[in-house]
Amino acid sequence: MALLEVRNIEKHFGNTKVLEDISFSLEEGKALAIIGSSGSGKTTLLRCLNFLETPDAGMITVGGETLFDSENTAAFGEEAIRQKRLHFGLVFQSFHLFPQYTALENVSLAGKLREKDKGRWPILEKQGMELLERMGLADRSGHYPHQLSGGQQQRVAIARALALHPDILCFDEPTSALDPELTGEVLKVIRSLAQQRTTMIIVTHEMAFARDVADEVIFMDGGLIVEQGNAREVIENPRQERTRQFLARY
Amino acid sequence: MFMTVVGALNQGFIQTLKLFTVTLLGAIPLGLVISFGSMSRFAPLRWLTRGVIWVIRGTPLMLQLIILYYIPGRLLGYSPWGTGESGRFLASAIAFIVNYACYFSEIYRGGIQGVPVGQQEAGLVLGMTRQEIFFKVTLLQMIKRVVPPMSNEIITLVKDTSLARIISFQEVIWAGQAFMKSSHGYSGLLWPLFFTGVYYLVFNGVVTLLLGRLERKLDYFR
Ligand SMILES: Nc1ncnc2c1ncn2[C@@H]1O[C@H](COP(=O)(O)OP(=O)(O)O)[C@@H](O)[C@H]1O
Ligand SMILES: [Mg+2]
Repeated sequence: MALLEVRNIEKHFGNTKVLEDISFSLEEGKALAIIGSSGSGKTTLLRCLNFLETPDAGMITVGGETLFDSENTAAFGEEAIRQKRLHFGLVFQSFHLFPQYTALENVSLAGKLREKDKGRWPILEKQGMELLERMGLADRSGHYPHQLSGGQQQRVAIARALALHPDILCFDEPTSALDPELTGEVLKVIRSLAQQRTTMIIVTHEMAFARDVADEVIFMDGGLIVEQGNAREVIENPRQERTRQFLARY
Repeated sequence: MFMTVVGALNQGFIQTLKLFTVTLLGAIPLGLVISFGSMSRFAPLRWLTRGVIWVIRGTPLMLQLIILYYIPGRLLGYSPWGTGESGRFLASAIAFIVNYACYFSEIYRGGIQGVPVGQQEAGLVLGMTRQEIFFKVTLLQMIKRVVPPMSNEIITLVKDTSLARIISFQEVIWAGQAFMKSSHGYSGLLWPLFFTGVYYLVFNGVVTLLLGRLERKLDYFR
């Protein structure tokens, strides 16, 4: 059975329908790329998975546990949501690091807040340090975000999300806010996560990257899934006309 | 003569300091309460609060002092403030606290709304509670934004305390002016009044120094 099951998600803002009948599933250890032009609802979809938005309809299941069901919203108080959203991690387009904390503090803050036994904090810091090393940032652990380049900041943000061991890590255009010469270092890190079988959902405009790194791809347009399938097949040989038109721009 | 005058001015200056300190201690927290009111999701409370802020900021503090000190007495037939200097201090303190709290609340509102929503969302996604997000993430960023405009207001407050002279609160200007008529056995002296300026300069110098130090303390992040 798939790790993640998304069933018939719908989302409106006022009268505009932003997501319509979104259904897909994701196996453990696989990477899913979501592509589509701006305004097609990709960010909203990730925000729904991370409980920053509440879908108007649909169901979200992770590892057999129903995290969201629009038929039964009574069970979803703030505290319950706080626990459920930890199944997901989210890396934002513009990083959103906490400016008053060093790279290492950014990575270990949330874990420390959850760990009441301060005796275990050194372990969390050690794990944070290891994550920063994996991101190639061992020598930057004591730097504040404003002392880091955009690419470095985004890698700290990835480490911060990984620190809580989410089942599924989501990326919302992780390189779109970066200068072109800095996208490579971030994509390299995501690629190595894929090789280590991290379950991921990656919204991206980097088509070659999506083709090479993702297992599956979803093409969205106007809040709908137009085409989904094997990443390489869909990106190299799209079956839908709209997908073809979109890919022709890259 | 000089020592006598300085002694009298010092006494007045102690009253100035008292009013300054009490105003800050009252207006800093009250301003936060008012700023929450002005951002309330409950529209009537939000508009009421903003209305009050508009009136308080739109009229002179001197007028507010006069109204607060004299009008209740007219209506009630006796002064609720009590007699003498303690009554004048109480009325001044309340007028100053309310007035400055309204100014502070607008600064806080800017500070709170100036912290990007992304900070809050990053905290939420990491499973933090709203309280944890406020105290561990947003608060310090808010303080950093608020310190420079607050410094301006606090320096203005140092000088504004002299407005309480209008209801004869015996602060340093009152003490200096008293020598023009007669005070402590001297009369017709003009210079003590001018000399009060030195008190304000020195006091403002100290306040500016302290606030500058606080600002630099928060300089380590952006
Ligand atoms: N908070 C919101 N309120 C109203 N409309 C929104 C909001 N967020 C997104 N939208 C609209 O939803 C649509 C999809 O947006 P988004 O999910 O950000 O698309 P994408 O990430 O694919 O560019 C857009 O038309 C956008 O204007
Ligand atoms: Mg987007």
